[in-house]
Amino acid sequence: MERQIRYQREADLEWAHQFTKHPGCERLLSCIQCGTCSGTCPLSIYMDLTPRQVIALVREGFREDVLRSQTIWLCASCYACSVECPQKVSITDIMYRLKREAIRSNLYPKRFPIPVLAREFCDMVRQRGRNSEFWVVFRMAMRSNPKILLSMARTGWELWRKGRLSLRRERIQRINELQYIPATSKEVD
Amino acid sequence: MSEKKNGQVRIGVYICHCGANIADTVDVKAVAEYAATLPGVVIARDYKYMCSDPGQELIQQDIEEHQINRVVVAACSPSLHEHTFRGAAERAGLNPFFVQMVNIREHDSWVHTEREAATVKAKDLVRAAVQRVYFHKPLEKRRVPIHPEVLVVGGGIAGIHAALTVANSGKKVYLVEREATIGGHMAQYDKTFPTLDCAACILTPKMSAVKAHPNIVLWTYSEVVSVDGSVGDYKVVVKRKPRYIREDLCVGCLQCIDACVFKEPKFDDEFNLGLSKRKPIYIPFPQATPKVVVIDPEACIQLRTGKCKRSCLEACVERGAIDFEQKETYEEIHVGSIIIATGFKTFDPRRLPQYGYGRYPNVYTTLEVERLVNASGPTSGQVITRDGRVPKSVGIILCVGSRDENTNRWCSRVCCMTSLKLAHLIKEHTGAEVYIFYIDMRAAGKGYEEFYQRVLNEGVHFVRGRVAEITDWALDPSEEGKLVARVEDTNTGFVRRIPLDMVVLAVGLEPQFDAHEVQRMFGISCSLDGFFLEKHPKLAPAPTYTDGIFIAGLCHGPKDIPDTVMQAGYAAAEAIALADTGYFELEPNTAYVVEEECSGCKSCVPLCPYQAITFKEDKQKAFINEVLCKGCGTCVAACPSGSIRQNLFEDEEIFSEIEGVLAYA
Repeated sequence: MERQIRYQREADLEWAHQFTKHPGCERLLSCIQCGTCSGTCPLSIYMDLTPRQVIALVREGFREDVLRSQTIWLCASCYACSVECPQKVSITDIMYRLKREAIRSNLYPKRFPIPVLAREFCDMVRQRGRNSEFWVVFRMAMRSNPKILLSMARTGWELWRKGRLSLRRERIQRINELQYIPATSKEVD
Repeated sequence: MSEKKNGQVRIGVYICHCGANIADTVDVKAVAEYAATLPGVVIARDYKYMCSDPGQELIQQDIEEHQINRVVVAACSPSLHEHTFRGAAERAGLNPFFVQMVNIREHDSWVHTEREAATVKAKDLVRAAVQRVYFHKPLEKRRVPIHPEVLVVGGGIAGIHAALTVANSGKKVYLVEREATIGGHMAQYDKTFPTLDCAACILTPKMSAVKAHPNIVLWTYSEVVSVDGSVGDYKVVVKRKPRYIREDLCVGCLQCIDACVFKEPKFDDEFNLGLSKRKPIYIPFPQATPKVVVIDPEACIQLRTGKCKRSCLEACVERGAIDFEQKETYEEIHVGSIIIATGFKTFDPRRLPQYGYGRYPNVYTTLEVERLVNASGPTSGQVITRDGRVPKSVGIILCVGSRDENTNRWCSRVCCMTSLKLAHLIKEHTGAEVYIFYIDMRAAGKGYEEFYQRVLNEGVHFVRGRVAEITDWALDPSEEGKLVARVEDTNTGFVRRIPLDMVVLAVGLEPQFDAHEVQRMFGISCSLDGFFLEKHPKLAPAPTYTDGIFIAGLCHGPKDIPDTVMQAGYAAAEAIALADTGYFELEPNTAYVVEEECSGCKSCVPLCPYQAITFKEDKQKAFINEVLCKGCGTCVAACPSGSIRQNLFEDEEIFSEIEGVLAYA
């Protein structure tokens, strides 16, 4: 059985105080814990923490609890919560911020397909300037759960036969100009 | 049998449809036809809305054209429209007490579904009323004159506002306050929510206005000891306790305090809740009104032992305001109405030992913290704990002694906002991490929710959960030397231990410790929670069941300052209206003693809930003061010789009504 009580030394209040300074997270403190976000979210039924809980945990400084949760990775960015929120909290933006921190702190669930997909997608765009669907999916599957390729094989074959799936790895010209953008944004952040 | 006008009883019966309310369930036509056949009934009609103007005119017309001299209206509850139909009868020249109402809505159509049976019941009730109204006697409403003076009991913000309002209307007001100064609890507060106005800055001008007002007689350090009489003429005795200072001579220079043989203040200062000390001769706070010092007889050496240097006398030798021989005096006044504004007391958190109040020095109540953050408070506005540290983390626990079956069931209404305000002030003064432990955040009021948002955005931690205990038992090195709150944080979803330097208990509000004595003395009622009972919770929240006595402020139940001021203004308006009318009309349904039959057994005297019955020793008979009688009928039923009767409820009226309802038609 796991210990459930939380001691205050586990809370990182400095991190919590800084959190609202990130773009999109300004209204975090306005949250009144009504749970509209959790009720609206089409994916909250699969989440280990509901979006409302995520906000409460961020405010109280329980950084690891949040960054290790699957919730931030299940968020599909549909923005339903942000639209419905009575306090105009940009929950989706907060989720993005948390995903970024989870990756940087190396706290994200390693074989969970969603962060893997995000990483592969970004790497491919950064290296080639284009997203080649087949290769993104292939590399995501290889790094998260290779068995999934077997179940997807038939669909893949059909799509390829009809010319809907290209095996070509596309690339743009003058890739260095594109790479300049993420490099600059990294500096700014 | 009373014979009227043309020598006989002529009854008119009117059946109301009340739209569809009655007519859908009761066959009103059939009831009217049946009523017409009853003995004495001259005319019976039904109409869609009897209470409407054409409906009332119908009755008036029949009184004039058909010489109707008794009226039975079968409609809704008499509490709704009895006065309407009595008024209609009066306008047509008929004594209004010849009208009898039958409730065929609440008592019949609304509670039954079967049309046939409901119609039979309506007929039965109408028959009963017809038989009763036959015996009705003409009655007159009596008027009692009203003394224009008003007594206000309690000099907190409610009493102050009520007194000023009445005084401004040109009437004389007596303001009686138990403490040495007016101001009440509000004078102890630092800021007021949600605007953060300084409480003293908005209160003290009103206090000095009271002192300066030509129509207000201000008696501080005084208590009401007896109340006699009834609406319009209350005889009140006020005890003026000795403050050992002649109020007319003291100018408030305070030199006597410096001169006192006690060089250092030694005694707990009540105004600062014991957080600071005062001398035996003191002034409660700098803006005290009246600005007159007071001597504590328990502390003063001269008053306790008679052996003191009396250096204070020397300091006041020119004015000679100090008078150790002063005795209590009694003043008797006559007033027409009374406004009770005796306030509240805060919950004593020692009753909840799990929070450690009184055991851990750094556990405070909200009222103590109000003094702590106040610039003229015991620490000059510095928030420091009892061991002299500036707290780095502060926890405020809500609902201490509220919403709890073990202590008080009610919500004290102001603690949420008070705690938000204190959280803001503590954060402003110390920069500490502030935790508010709440069950529900109740911020209902103008600008209140906005203030909650402001405090949320200041980074105060809102932990949703009622703290189970405050302990100094550290389970973790980080908790050493701190108080730890153990609480389920239902927002994050787990139980937490939060170390705190200072714990503030948002204590609930309770009736004054002597509320029951005050209630008995003034002859008013208390609700179950012990607060004074208003006449109607929605529509008469300042009058009481005792005519001429009004309640205002926290003695009626927890409320914030704006609500208190509103209720005080309302109570004052009622008192002014009563005084301006000049008289009070009494319902004639009072009991009376038939003296020839009274045996003088005194059974009735202690039974009367309104103290309306006295025993006349000279005649050896009971006497009922009809101004005080509310017509409850207790004495009528209790009288062993049947010598107490009641207007509108004479034996013949009631017995014929019973016969009427039981007769088989």
